[in-house]
Amino acid sequence: MGVEEVIEKISREKREAVRELQLFDANIWLGKPLHFPLTRELHITLVQEVLQSYSIHGGLLSHWDGPALSPQEGNSALLEVGEKLPENLNTIWTGLPLLPREQDPLPGLGAPDARLRGVRLFPKTHRYTLSPWVVGGLCRWCIEYGLPLFLWHVEIEWESLYNLAQTFPDLRIILESQWQKVLYHNRVLYSLLNDNRNVFLETSNFVGQDFITHAVSALGAERLLFGSFLPQNDPWASVGMLMDADISEHDKRLIAGENMRTILQGVRL
Amino acid sequence: MIEPFIIDAHAHTGFPNLFFSPEIDAPSLLRRMDQFRIQYAINLCSMRSLVGDQRGELEKAAQEFESSGRRIFYLGFFSPKRKNDLKLLEEASTLPGFKGIKIHPSFDGVSADDDAYDAIWEFAARFDLPIVAHTWSVSSYNPVQILSTPEKFERFVQKYSKIRFVLGHSGGRGEGRVQAIRMAQEYDNVYMDFGGDIYCHQYFEQMAEELPDNKVLFGSDYPWIDCRSHLTRVYLANISTHLKRRILRDNALEVYRLEG
Repeated sequence: MGVEEVIEKISREKREAVRELQLFDANIWLGKPLHFPLTRELHITLVQEVLQSYSIHGGLLSHWDGPALSPQEGNSALLEVGEKLPENLNTIWTGLPLLPREQDPLPGLGAPDARLRGVRLFPKTHRYTLSPWVVGGLCRWCIEYGLPLFLWHVEIEWESLYNLAQTFPDLRIILESQWQKVLYHNRVLYSLLNDNRNVFLETSNFVGQDFITHAVSALGAERLLFGSFLPQNDPWASVGMLMDADISEHDKRLIAGENMRTILQGVRL
Repeated sequence: MIEPFIIDAHAHTGFPNLFFSPEIDAPSLLRRMDQFRIQYAINLCSMRSLVGDQRGELEKAAQEFESSGRRIFYLGFFSPKRKNDLKLLEEASTLPGFKGIKIHPSFDGVSADDDAYDAIWEFAARFDLPIVAHTWSVSSYNPVQILSTPEKFERFVQKYSKIRFVLGHSGGRGEGRVQAIRMAQEYDNVYMDFGGDIYCHQYFEQMAEELPDNKVLFGSDYPWIDCRSHLTRVYLANISTHLKRRILRDNALEVYRLEG
């Protein structure tokens, strides 16, 4: 078999294998990206088509206006698209501490929006700490409705996140591997995940050598969640890490989507 | 049984130091090469080479070349701050498996356009060796990257127009990549690899549109980055099979003058 035939064969096999994973993407972004000047914005009208091209069956949408302009503007943009969203797509809003009470739309008071499936905080960008006495009210609101809390690792102090996870064991915290790779932090990361069963790791930029296999062995597949970070990242990067990991097919499907679907089943609106 | 056919043009061995990597050495790299059909890898130097143990690391790399069945080739590191690097590299130029020079202006704290680099470009021209450079975009979180933006190498690319020059990491994820593409378009002797976390969406489709087929090289950045994060991207990119072959194999064979 010639080299090009081999490449075509492997490509076909990979295309078929990815369909088996039933991918659910925890990390899709609308709006104009920060930090990625060459990225083309993903428009809401194209989301379904783009996801289908990567065999991604559903996902959670976030909006760059949340960190780039204000939480309210990001959430408003998501509210606007929310009415048009198909069933397989829902939203993650940007949150703030509940005091002082700021302008809406913000998560944390009353019933959540019908399409809301998570809250993301940007403590460094929005200038507050992740201390329980600052964000505790919002955390309790998330627990009440079963909503997971999303955090980019670059937005937190590790000590604060550890304390938050300990203080609120019923809060599902999803630590995201963006907007820079989680690599230089793994000596802290493992202890955080080991000690706190309520913390999960999103894998779009968890790309170190054999990281997926090693983390599954050390921490368990139920602790990892697939994300693409579209449109900044190529989804095949995190798909490739998962698809070719030396773990069972069952564990691959957990990471690919079942873990996130299980978390979302706990959302009570 | 499919024979290995891929060339990994951007690998390392040794402890990364800054983080935990489950695998770090040449035997582990070789196992992964077998697993993912990688025929040859190019070792772009260890941390020990960068911090100063050039002689010991060149000897180690030569041993790894032999013990890998002549599959892990290697470069020598040049620091403009070390007086004896040129002498050691000249000695290494006769060693089997030695394939070129690696420079890292950000690590050395010397701008890529500094006159101090002229000596290694002259050396590479004399020995007909390729140069691979760490390149990146201006970075808010890592300010020394400004020393390695692609256009800073341009004066030497022009002066030494016969040297095969590889922009490692494709100039990063920002404006550096624009410059990398421009230089690869403009100069026959400029190439780029996408080792590291260059996961830009539709990277290959863009390269297919903007560059000749011989310009982009697959590189993993092992053991910092897992080749699995790049290989599926190439296999499933919306580009021709011919171009996938060029990226995964032929372009590196040409730059490093390896026999396939």
